Amino acid sequence: MPITRALPSLCLAAAFLAAWQLYCAWADVSPLILPAPSDVALGLWVNRATLAGHAAATLGVAAFGFSLSVSFAFITSVALHFIPWLRRGLFPLLVASQTVPIVALAPLMVLWFGFGLLPKVLLVILVTFFPVLVSLLAGYARLPQAYRDQLASMGAGRAQVFRRAALPVARPHFFNGLRISATYAIVATILAEYAGARQGLGIYILTAKNNFRADLVLAAVVLSATLTLLLLGLLHLIDRATGRRYRRAVDAAG
Amino acid sequence: MLRVEGLTIHTGPRLLVEDITLALTEGSITCLIGPSGCGKSSIIKWLSGVLPPELTATGTATLEGTPLAAPSPALAYQPQQDTLLPWLTVAENAALGLEIAGLSRRAARARVLPHFAPFGLAGHEGSFPDQLSGGMRQRAAFLRTMVQDSRFLLLDEPFSALDAVTRLRMQHWLCDRLAEQSRGVLMVTHDLYEATQMADRLLVMSTRPGRIVSDIPLTTPRSDRTEASLAETRALLKSLLLEDTP
Repeated sequence: MPITRALPSLCLAAAFLAAWQLYCAWADVSPLILPAPSDVALGLWVNRATLAGHAAATLGVAAFGFSLSVSFAFITSVALHFIPWLRRGLFPLLVASQTVPIVALAPLMVLWFGFGLLPKVLLVILVTFFPVLVSLLAGYARLPQAYRDQLASMGAGRAQVFRRAALPVARPHFFNGLRISATYAIVATILAEYAGARQGLGIYILTAKNNFRADLVLAAVVLSATLTLLLLGLLHLIDRATGRRYRRAVDAAG
Repeated sequence: MLRVEGLTIHTGPRLLVEDITLALTEGSITCLIGPSGCGKSSIIKWLSGVLPPELTATGTATLEGTPLAAPSPALAYQPQQDTLLPWLTVAENAALGLEIAGLSRRAARARVLPHFAPFGLAGHEGSFPDQLSGGMRQRAAFLRTMVQDSRFLLLDEPFSALDAVTRLRMQHWLCDRLAEQSRGVLMVTHDLYEATQMADRLLVMSTRPGRIVSDIPLTTPRSDRTEASLAETRALLKSLLLEDTP
C-alpha cells in the first residue's frame, strides 16, 4: 500500500494514542485501571522475550488450525458443489454450527480434549471454516452460464468446467473469505488458550489480568493485532504473487 | 450433410419451436432469421448440447445419416457474447477447445499460433481479453471456434454485441475466412442486412411457436451482391417477417 493511502489511518491512530497519553497524564488515572500507551510500550519491551514465546505459540496454533480449516473448507466446498443433496442436507447444519457461542464452547473443548493442541485447533477450525466455505460456494455460483455453455459445447464435462472456469471465477471470493477467516484465526486461538493452555497469548492475558497488570494485557493485545496483520499481509502477498490474471473482472458474459 | 428432423422444443407446457426440419451442407452459410423469441437460438443450443434444462426437445440430428450425440466435436458453437475467459491470454483462450478435445497445452498452442496473423491478432497472443477492442475480441472468439476440428459452425448472433461499423467489417472478414475453408455454417440473426449479405440460404422463421415459413436460396455470389440486387430479397424478407408479426 502506498504511504499516501495509509497516511490518514496513521494520522488518526497517532492522534488517538496522543489523546490517550495526554488523558492519562492530566487526569492522573491509576495505571492499574488504564495504563498510558507509553506504559504498554514499556511493558512490551521489558517482557519481550516472554511475550515472543507466547506469541509464537499462538501463531503456531492459529496457522496450523487455519491451514487445516482452509483445506477442509475447500474439500467440503467441492463435495457440496457436486452433490446437491449433500448441500441441501449439510448446509443448514453448517449454518446452525455458527450459532454456537464460542465462549461457551471453549472451556468445554478443554474439558473434553485437555490442554494440548487438539481443542485449540478444533476451535480455530470451527470459527474459520465457515467464511471460507461460504465464499467458495458463492464464488462457484458466480460462474456465468455463457462460460458453462461454451465449455460444455466444446465437450467439457462437469469436472472440466469446474476446473477451467468455476475455480478461477471463485478465486477472488475465496481470497475474501480467507481474509475474513484470518482475522478470526488469532482471536479464536487466544479464546481457546484463555480457557486453558500452557503457552500462548490467551493464557498470558489471563495471568496478566489476574496480576492486575493492565499494561501487559494491552501489550498482548497489541501483539495479537500485529499477528493478525501479519497473517493478512501474508495472504495479500500470496494473492499478488500468484493471481494477477484472476483479478481481471469477469465481464463479457452475464 | 447435417440434418435436423422434426425438432420440437417445449418450454414447460408451451410450444417454443415446432417441427423444424433443415439440412446444412458443408461450404455454405445458412442464416436462420426470425423475430425475437421465436426459438432460433434454442435450435442452435440444442444442436450444441447446451439447451437450458427447463426446455425439452424432441427430434433427431444426423451427420451423413449417423445420429449425432450433442455436444459433438463435429459442431463448434459460438454464443452471442464472445465468452473469452478473462484470466486466460488470447492464445490460451484460442487453444481452449483443442485442450478440452484432448490436445496437450503445448500442442494446442502450436496449432493456434499460426492463425493469429490471418485473424488480425498478431502480437496479441499474450494479451488478455480486456486489453482488446470489441472487434478483436470477436475475432479471437472466432479463432477459438475455428481452430477446432469441426465440420460445422453454429453461430448465435455473433455480431450482435458489436457497434455498426465493426459489425460490417466483421461480416466481410468472416465471409473471407469461411471462403478459405469448406465448413458449413448455421448462423442465427435478426439482422436483414447481415443475413442477405452473408447467407447462401435463408431460413425464415415465424413468431412463437417458431416454424420455418420460407426457404430462400441466394444464388448470386457474395462479391457480386449489391444493394440493388439484394433489394428484392430484402423486401420479400421484410414482408414475411412483418406479415407474421401480430
